[in-house]
Amino acid sequence: MRGPVCAAAALFPGERGGRLAAHRAGCLRCRAEEARRRSLDRVLEALGAEVVPAPASLHAAVMARLGPQDAADPRRALAARAAARYAAAAGVAVALLAALLAGLARRHSRAMG
Amino acid sequence: MEAGGVQRDERELLDRARAGDGEAFGELVRRYQDTVYTLARRLVGPDLAADVAQEALLRAWRALPRFRGEAAFSTWLHRITVNTAWTLRRRDRRHLAEPLEGDFEDAGPLPEQAGELAEARAVLRRAIAALNPGQRAVVVLRDLYGWSGAETARELGITETTVKVRLHRARRRLRSLLEGER
Repeated sequence: MRGPVCAAAALFPGERGGRLAAHRAGCLRCRAEEARRRSLDRVLEALGAEVVPAPASLHAAVMARLGPQDAADPRRALAARAAARYAAAAGVAVALLAALLAGLARRHSRAMG
Repeated sequence: MEAGGVQRDERELLDRARAGDGEAFGELVRRYQDTVYTLARRLVGPDLAADVAQEALLRAWRALPRFRGEAAFSTWLHRITVNTAWTLRRRDRRHLAEPLEGDFEDAGPLPEQAGELAEARAVLRRAIAALNPGQRAVVVLRDLYGWSGAETARELGITETTVKVRLHRARRRLRSLLEGER
């Protein structure tokens, strides 16, 4: 069974020069795990370098569908919408505050009168 | 052509394409369609990859006037491909939870693919295809394309911690799948 230190060593494979590294150096299980990890890294790297040729029809399909370009930044529209929402919320808050203050003022003048 | 010459040439093509020159964009498509298609295939499998690649290239065309060259064109194109893959996969609900059928088999074996490493790559392609979509995307972007944790998190709309957790689980699963095939 793998102990908690083995599990920690697997979780932090980059840790060098500390306790986990010292454990890893002396633990056969961890060294086997490290070897498997390196082997996976090698194959992943090799796979990352592969390029699959696109279907022959892709270029023509793209070129046939080129429409107009759009220089407008979509983030601006989103920002404008967000600003409008904030402005509306602020307007409602100001109106509520004004109503509250008016109510308080009425009550105060009634109490005084 | 020298590397500097290719870069100059690409910058010129980009400037022309940004200004609406379809022919220049066509040349860029010719240069990058394979890498875009490969990334799409790694993310969504062969059924949807051509649709994703086509849509990503069209989105790139539409957005080109906004490309400022802060990142390399290939990086920008890859980001669009990842976003497009995510959008189309969401629409195509079949792909949400299922492992990919037909895995990532390439069109044909290359001469240098002989031997043990080629076999290991074939096994790994099948293993990656068997991951769930979230883990697959993280493994593809981090391990195959070398994206940083922050970049991967931003483009997939998840936190960096989630990226780390998914990567750890995915790699553990890949190792067990690879050992199961031996």
